[in-house]
Amino acid sequence: MKNVYLVPLILSIFSLAVIAIALQLDTSPEMIVGDSMQARSFPIFLMILKLILIGILTFQFYKNNPKPVALEKYHTWGSMFLFLLFYLLTVYTDMFIGIFVVIFLMSILWGERRIWVAFLTATVTPGLVFLLFDYVLKIRFPRGILMNLYYG
Amino acid sequence: MFEQAISAMASVVVDPYLLGLIFATTILGVIIGVLPGLGATTGAALLLPFTLTMDPVHAIAVLATIYVSATFAGSITAILINTPGTSAAAATTFDGYPLAQKGEAGRALGIAVISSTVGGIFSVIILCFAAPLLARVAYEFRSPEYFALTVFGLSMLASISAGGAVKNLIGGIFGVWLSTIGAERVTGIERFMFGNYELYEGLHFVPIFIGLFAISELLVQSKTVNKIINTVTMKAVKLPTLEDYKKIWKTILRSCGIGTFIGVLPAEGATVASMIGYSEARRWSKNKKEFGKGAIEGIAGAEAANNAATGGAMVPTMVLGIPGSGTTAIILVGLMVHGLRPGVYLFTEQVEKVYQIFGSMFVANVMFMLMGLYAAKLFARVSLVPTQILWPIVFALSVIGAYAFQGQLLDVWLALIFGVIGYFARRHGFSVAPIAVGLILGEMVETNLQHSLKMYDGAWWMILAQPLALMFLVFAFLGLCGPMIYSWITKQKD
Repeated sequence: MKNVYLVPLILSIFSLAVIAIALQLDTSPEMIVGDSMQARSFPIFLMILKLILIGILTFQFYKNNPKPVALEKYHTWGSMFLFLLFYLLTVYTDMFIGIFVVIFLMSILWGERRIWVAFLTATVTPGLVFLLFDYVLKIRFPRGILMNLYYG
Repeated sequence: MFEQAISAMASVVVDPYLLGLIFATTILGVIIGVLPGLGATTGAALLLPFTLTMDPVHAIAVLATIYVSATFAGSITAILINTPGTSAAAATTFDGYPLAQKGEAGRALGIAVISSTVGGIFSVIILCFAAPLLARVAYEFRSPEYFALTVFGLSMLASISAGGAVKNLIGGIFGVWLSTIGAERVTGIERFMFGNYELYEGLHFVPIFIGLFAISELLVQSKTVNKIINTVTMKAVKLPTLEDYKKIWKTILRSCGIGTFIGVLPAEGATVASMIGYSEARRWSKNKKEFGKGAIEGIAGAEAANNAATGGAMVPTMVLGIPGSGTTAIILVGLMVHGLRPGVYLFTEQVEKVYQIFGSMFVANVMFMLMGLYAAKLFARVSLVPTQILWPIVFALSVIGAYAFQGQLLDVWLALIFGVIGYFARRHGFSVAPIAVGLILGEMVETNLQHSLKMYDGAWWMILAQPLALMFLVFAFLGLCGPMIYSWITKQKD
């Protein structure tokens, strides 16, 4: 199967999954819903509509034979991996440690050869943003190693 | 009413804080506009969290200023480096860059600045008159009319971007489905929450928009690493000469009309307007052969139209709550977050605020003209900021912005997840703007359908018996099926 058909396939599976989940939602007593809709009706209607459109899309693909989409560069996969790293660092250490590490590594990954520039970007940006949000917008950040030191 | 409007608009000029804010935001908007990939929508999404603690008028003024100034600024890089800073400036490259290559970059920018300013100011004036009139019509709307209007808005998603009608509609439906996550509003039944009570009130727009527009753009830009940019040199920005004005004034006026009209249509935006403005400039020109080789009418046609569309797009956004593009969707979220409910209420109860916002847009147009004329060369240098520095900074602003909205880490994860979803959607030719617009309109369409069904005891066909509702549904049908019917008829004739 050509990889262009993967998109309609994934979208169809998603739509069917939504319908299956929606069918298991609670129903409301008649006296509340009255002549209106049950909570499940609207999402199911949407997914049926979507399945029809996916059918049309597949037919268009069959007729036009579009070019398959090329695989991503390692920069893109690497950036997505850094998102995952950010999640882990934020949950287990501190949000700002996560931001620092991700900015630093992303700069290097995207081709910055001067380590000091990447380091400076990774330090100054979160620093300035923190000052702005903390002092001007009065936003409290989630507790972690650094924030525990700051908030006490 | 007229006096109230004038005094509210004038109050912008005598409010030094607001003026300073518009000035600073215009600089930021121009910088955002010249940075390839960032653009008005990403810029507005990134700035939205910063406006949360502001006064409502100031917050919307900031977002509207970003919209108009970034839309203009896209032309600077379009002319100097053949890379449109925003998609709305794509048509400007056709003649702007060739003219710059001839050594007339300053003249090209001068034409772009003046045309954009005239287009922007023209559309704000139309906005001031058209919006209250439309609001008066909308006063008559009840649930069936609002339901039909929203369906019409959703049907217009088919042409919101270049992704193709079917793909855009699939994106729009996905957006509407996202709006069903959380507790259902009438019965309180939990939908698609999977036990996560932070989702009880549904998905919030801000983190989703940051993900769809900013994070997904970051991933798209990761493919342009190491791209070599060729720049042309520019001595100074020149004001168009009298000869130039004689040549382009008709084009500018025509594009002002086209841009404003296209902008008013739900889901049509500056990009479509600039393309039509450009092609109409070419169609009416006596020097068609010059087009593509540096015709000043081409630059004027595209630039006047794309900036005129900004004011036009604010009409359905503020009056009907139906955004015409990704950027107006973010402005709409800004209005809602600050308790300014779009629609008739806004134009009857909060009319002063509305005109202050319009006044801010007017001032922003004048400010970007001055910046375009005196500092374009400086701003053009900003576009040379390396991607490996710029986009990691965008990442930091995105995650902190997503967190700042409600102080919940869940919003950060949602922004990242929707960033990845948005990226893969774009990779496969789906635009993210229909998802955003669908998410906004989703609640409106479901709630009004429920109310309509209750009104008519479940007889859904009674919606069709309401003349205005029927009109909107016919428009929606024609919008969706019109092109297909037309091509079928043409084929039959052939």
